Amino acid sequence: MIDRRTLFGASAAVMSAVSALFGTKSASAASAPASTFKGDYEPRGTDQRLERLPRLDLESYDNFLTGLRIWTGSASGKTSRRRFYKAISDAGLDPREDLPLEKIFPLVENDTYIGTAARMRTSGQQLMWTALQKHYHENADVYLDEMEAADNAGPGKLELNPDIHIPDYTKHEIHIQPGGYVGDAFAGHIYHYGTNNFYRAENYQDEIHRNMATQMATPKDGKVMRILDMGCSSGQLTAALKERFPDAEVWGIDIGGPMVRYSHMRCVDLGIGANFRQALAEDTKFEDGYFDIVTSYIMHHEVPAGKTKEIINEAYRVLRPGGVYFPIDFETGAGRGRGKNAYSRFSSWRDHRWNEEVWRPDYSSVDFNGEMRKTGFDVVDEGPPAWRSRFNVLGTKPA
Amino acid sequence: MATSKLKTDRPTYASDFIPSDVERAVFLGNPILDNMMTSLIALGAEVWSNRRRMKVVEALLDEKGVTAEMIETYMPTAEQDAEWQKDRDRFIDLTYSPLLREGDLPVSAAFTRENK
Repeated sequence: MIDRRTLFGASAAVMSAVSALFGTKSASAASAPASTFKGDYEPRGTDQRLERLPRLDLESYDNFLTGLRIWTGSASGKTSRRRFYKAISDAGLDPREDLPLEKIFPLVENDTYIGTAARMRTSGQQLMWTALQKHYHENADVYLDEMEAADNAGPGKLELNPDIHIPDYTKHEIHIQPGGYVGDAFAGHIYHYGTNNFYRAENYQDEIHRNMATQMATPKDGKVMRILDMGCSSGQLTAALKERFPDAEVWGIDIGGPMVRYSHMRCVDLGIGANFRQALAEDTKFEDGYFDIVTSYIMHHEVPAGKTKEIINEAYRVLRPGGVYFPIDFETGAGRGRGKNAYSRFSSWRDHRWNEEVWRPDYSSVDFNGEMRKTGFDVVDEGPPAWRSRFNVLGTKPA
Repeated sequence: MATSKLKTDRPTYASDFIPSDVERAVFLGNPILDNMMTSLIALGAEVWSNRRRMKVVEALLDEKGVTAEMIETYMPTAEQDAEWQKDRDRFIDLTYSPLLREGDLPVSAAFTRENK
């Protein structure tokens, strides 16, 4: 059995050693649970960093739906795209142009192949969420016991804020996740394992988050004593940042109480000393100039445009002079998230409408880099490519 | 697949939420077709779960000396073969007979003795 605290202790050297372990998964079906805190519940043990799903059948169910998602993204997705291009072309229009949705809908809405691809993707996602939620609800007391056991455990700390005002804009079932980020006791569990499906089996060991932490921009003076990860969800980037910067005070914040609770529990389990607070990104409650780095990962496209501006202001406020703001999200630059042709216009709309990406159009409407400049940041439009090999906007608070 | 709400008196730190209307989505022109597709995917997940469990069982058997090759080359006895074919035929009949159903009555069809 792998002792995860040994393997994943907060050390950059260990982190690179662990990276070398990727792909060396051993066939250890008989691995015993690795309890790293009193009350830890791991009935099927761990696969390196990943706590295995607690039932073989649930893991297999998820495994199938991950395979289906990969397939729908390739085979049925290609058919859907081909049909889309043909329908647009047959109508005498150019699918390479950014056509208005009013022209697109009547041409493609009744195509059953396009509908099949969409249905497979949506149903697969719904089944995955439902299976996970059902398991956690049916065994709620076991998992609530586990979280309660971890709430006050270290090495990091957890700050829940049950009296916090939770704004309506955060209450949507983003990604059609049941209860969304704030409305289910096990939102963190469900989000973590559900997004493993989104990542198409390429993030079981937090590879994507750890790569982002490796690419994280740092202040020119090299001083990194405190880091803030806004909208941390299941805390995977926060954890990876603590591993890259073991001597820094690292905080993850999220408005979802169950999210930060799960994040904290997972870090306790991994022996990672990151801290978590239930808080809004636009109102972090940290003092002025406290952080050297403020970051976020795919948070901004989940908030309204007005809040994006408030969050940029808050990042500026809590950064010290010379500190850096590195918000990782979809395409950077003034065109962040904008559709470029008829298909991307259509698929963006479908993502907004049926994947409950409520604020995606708002996000697209913001001149993100321009807002950063207006706030006072010195902006580099093409900063380090932290995610999907794309350049990422980088802001520095003037010294 | 509507969102379920956990019933507990224990602190959960969860709030109320705004439900999506994805349950009402129709992508295939007829909600029944959408539903059948969802059921088909769910069935696939169940079948794969069983196959994956079988792989685990085979791997464990292998550790105990019953190898994959022994399973592949196992020759059933004549009695076993007859019994298994009977079971196969029952499986096929139950699964595919519904495809042969020749329905012809609309919902509004009158209830008459001739229909029986």
